[in-house]
Amino acid sequence: MPPRKITKIKFKVQRYNPEGDKAPYLQEFLVPVSRGMTVLDGLIYIEELKADILEIRSLPNFPVIKDLIPDNFRLLHKHTSIKPYIIRSDSQEMEKPTAEYMQAPGQLESYLQFSYCIKCGICVSACPTSASDKLFLGHQASVQCYRYCADSRDAGSQDRFPVVNTDHGLWHCHLAGACSEAYPKGVDPALGIQLLKRLLVANALGLGRKPQPAPKVPPPNEVKLKITIPEFTVPQRRPDL
Amino acid sequence: MFHTYLRFLQLATGALIAFFLGTHMVIMHLPKILGFFGIEIHKPTSWESMMKRAQENFLLVFYILFLAFALYHALNGLRGIILELSPSSRTKRVITGLIIILGLITFALGSYVPVALFRS
Repeated sequence: MPPRKITKIKFKVQRYNPEGDKAPYLQEFLVPVSRGMTVLDGLIYIEELKADILEIRSLPNFPVIKDLIPDNFRLLHKHTSIKPYIIRSDSQEMEKPTAEYMQAPGQLESYLQFSYCIKCGICVSACPTSASDKLFLGHQASVQCYRYCADSRDAGSQDRFPVVNTDHGLWHCHLAGACSEAYPKGVDPALGIQLLKRLLVANALGLGRKPQPAPKVPPPNEVKLKITIPEFTVPQRRPDL
Repeated sequence: MFHTYLRFLQLATGALIAFFLGTHMVIMHLPKILGFFGIEIHKPTSWESMMKRAQENFLLVFYILFLAFALYHALNGLRGIILELSPSSRTKRVITGLIIILGLITFALGSYVPVALFRS
């Protein structure tokens, strides 16, 4: 049996250590590849066998901490600026909840896909506006703003609109759609931004319905189970164990 | 809500420019379409025809509005592009002021022509 030919691929890795390097530079590595290997496998090979220390993470449009590690501070700061939580006037109920808020399946559907955001920053790294405007609020924060404004349990739209309604806010999106193409979880950030624009215009012009925040659903007094669940008891642990 | 109003006007003027520009094209260069609606303009690009049209109230208002919408759309778009370069707050105010002055001067000069022709 003839020996199997090993194919090698040249990896060009951008490296940068602000403590030692003046500027980022490309370092080349030859990596043997086989069927089914991914780019990440290649980078792990380099990290383990070739490079002394190689940090594997990279996102364009983010400041670099070291090698491929981006600084997520700006992303998370913008995310928190839009108040990504349910805001209501009944603060006592928010602090000490006594019941659930009512929400129909249709109301849940209106924002569900945007709640799948994992704050990875890929939408921001793919965005051409974020590349040219460092102060741009970005898709992640804008879409999360829509996610909470569209939530029927929320009443905090007026607290969030001033954050997205700035020179570097929502209206600076060019609708390139790169965010939606790059996003790995099936979320469509470009759609979220368009829906938020519609909310803002409707709010500014006083159009559309202004639904009241969802009411509470009182807990059921008595629940009759349809099936019998056997009682479960935790066996006593022996004191000598 | 100020930015929302500015951007909503940007969208609205974009749609209005398409309508006004289309109407202008039909009047000046597509007489067959006007003929379809029963309107006959003899040699629309000739001096006599243009002077005759300039005396009409409708076209006076039409062209002044067209100028206003086109100027707003163009200059607000230009401001948006410049602001994307993240200038300081002071530079931003200066840019906005200069653009407003440029717009007002251009509007005054641009609307002078149809008004002068209307009065002549």
